[in-house]
Amino acid sequence: MRFTVALPAVLALAALLLPLPWLMVAPNRLLPGVPLPALDALGWQAASTGLLILAALPPRMPAPVAACAALAAALLLTAATGMAAEHALEGRSAAARAGFGIGFWLALAGSLALCLARGALLGTVGRVALMLGGAAATALLFASGILNALSLVVEYQARAAAVNAAVVQHLLLAGAALLLALLLAVPLAWASFRLPRLAVPTGAAFAAVQVVPGIALFALLIPLLAALLAAFPALRELGLAAIGPAPAVIATTAYLTLPLFRSVLGGLAAANPHAVAAARAMGMGETRVTWEVRIPLALPVFIGGLRVALVQAIGLMTLGGLVGAGGLGAVVFEGLAQFASDLMLLGALPIVALALVADTVVGAAERRT
Amino acid sequence: MIAIEDVVVRFGAAEALRGVSLEIGAGELCALVGPSGSGKTTLLRLINRLVAPYRGVVRVRGEDVARLDPAKLRQSIGYAMQSVGLFPHRSVAENIGIVPRLRGWDRPRIAARTAELMALLHLDPELASRLPHALSGGQAQRVGIARALAADPDILLMDEPFGAVDPITRRDLRAELRRVHRATGKTIVLVTHDPEEALELGTKLVVLRAGRVVTVGAPAALVAPGADAFARELLGGKQPGLQRLALLPATIALQAGPAPNGAPELPAEASLADALSLMAESKCTVLAFAGGSLHADAVLRQA
Repeated sequence: MRFTVALPAVLALAALLLPLPWLMVAPNRLLPGVPLPALDALGWQAASTGLLILAALPPRMPAPVAACAALAAALLLTAATGMAAEHALEGRSAAARAGFGIGFWLALAGSLALCLARGALLGTVGRVALMLGGAAATALLFASGILNALSLVVEYQARAAAVNAAVVQHLLLAGAALLLALLLAVPLAWASFRLPRLAVPTGAAFAAVQVVPGIALFALLIPLLAALLAAFPALRELGLAAIGPAPAVIATTAYLTLPLFRSVLGGLAAANPHAVAAARAMGMGETRVTWEVRIPLALPVFIGGLRVALVQAIGLMTLGGLVGAGGLGAVVFEGLAQFASDLMLLGALPIVALALVADTVVGAAERRT
Repeated sequence: MIAIEDVVVRFGAAEALRGVSLEIGAGELCALVGPSGSGKTTLLRLINRLVAPYRGVVRVRGEDVARLDPAKLRQSIGYAMQSVGLFPHRSVAENIGIVPRLRGWDRPRIAARTAELMALLHLDPELASRLPHALSGGQAQRVGIARALAADPDILLMDEPFGAVDPITRRDLRAELRRVHRATGKTIVLVTHDPEEALELGTKLVVLRAGRVVTVGAPAALVAPGADAFARELLGGKQPGLQRLALLPATIALQAGPAPNGAPELPAEASLADALSLMAESKCTVLAFAGGSLHADAVLRQA
């Protein structure tokens, strides 16, 4: 049996069977809770989850069935934990909370990793179907109200509008940074390809940004922008401000330029020299050679760079919460300030999910080219 | 068809060609042969203006190429090279159709021409939709030659087109090229560093050395006694006499009288070297050939 299949399965089964904290029952959202192990919290449903995980293991089990079994295990343990939370809170005050413990997270991660490992052999269509099926079932669980007793869901329902707005804001900010970085990096990469003298200094300038720690760069931009605005007050009319989206987008853009620049330049330079020579000998001009040979051959390398940049944009924009740009980072930092772990998760989980979805979608495009 | 008039080519301070003049007539298969660095590829690339002369004039179909649009000129001349340079992201059919597409042919005409060329070069029609990485070395070379022939150019330039394939495939491809040359009557200029290939394929050989033309002539003439010593050694190796006999048809030594009974029979299309080989094998000095006879001393007189 392959290691990538065995390890997550063992992890998930251990989390179910060992006396790890599965459900944390606390008097309110800030106090630490009393742990409840999986067998106490889930009862017989722990056994059915375990069986689903075991069903995903045998190599003879067809990959689609195995992947679905692992996905079903993840969904079942989430639903069962929701019901357990409702049960645990019966007769307690309205402020009492029941949240996920480390055992639940381990089992969830294990069964999802198992689903990915068994689903790795499926084609693009199979994987997309699996992902959409998982997303639809999660949405269904959420809508059914079965999860409503869980602390994370209570926290979300208390600030659904703010969190939803933060997701949209986060995507807009990351998208703006990516667009700006493309506008900067692609022409410079093209120029560096045409004039190789430019390649080293431009690459070094983009690489130098990577040395600056993220938080430092975000913070540094505030006084810099303030000084700039003091010198040229007209910029204020254009909507530029020292605090807010401007420093967040500028700092994230600065980090994204390097992967984009490198991938465009690397892709253009990597075009098969014999194909380029043949194109010229057959009577193609430079413009035609670029469009018909260089760009198509550079595309896979470029999409690889775009994938890195997109995931980085979503992750880095979290720091935007520190400089007043909003987005999911603001939710995370609010949670940190209040020591409210559910609020931190409410910000962090969508960031992880967005990054994973972006990576999968661009990764599928990468394989197609 | 092609005239090179006293051309000098310089790359920086180095002179690749030092005053070369050459005429290539229509329908000839002209092999440019010489050691590495002798300027044969440079001479080839002058013809479609991939290299510009420092001095001198290159005329193609009577026109000075310096006055022609380089793109149009190159589209009118087929080009095949050792590394083939198929576009890795395009299918075999699309690769073959590149120049016709550049010249604005319509789709049905390109499709018909592609199918015709694949048949001419004995390429399985199933290969049409494959990408180049799924081809063998010999198939890729055939596709490269089909691509060079696609827009039906009257001139075909080939830069060591069989350099990168195994010896058996190379022999097949040479036979193929001879057949294509006979069938189409195109003017072909072939660069090779393989003397055997030059002798086998060329109707006219140009021997180059250090940027100059050493000698020009028919293959058998260049290995004849009294020919230029450098050319004779380059092409003939240690057995220029045998090489020459291999290039001459046995019919030129045919005598009318019948051969004695029991004399071995020589096939009709044999060369004088074949005749000599059969004599050595059978220990007979007279062979039966094409209704007449072939005598050892007559064979040797031709050498």
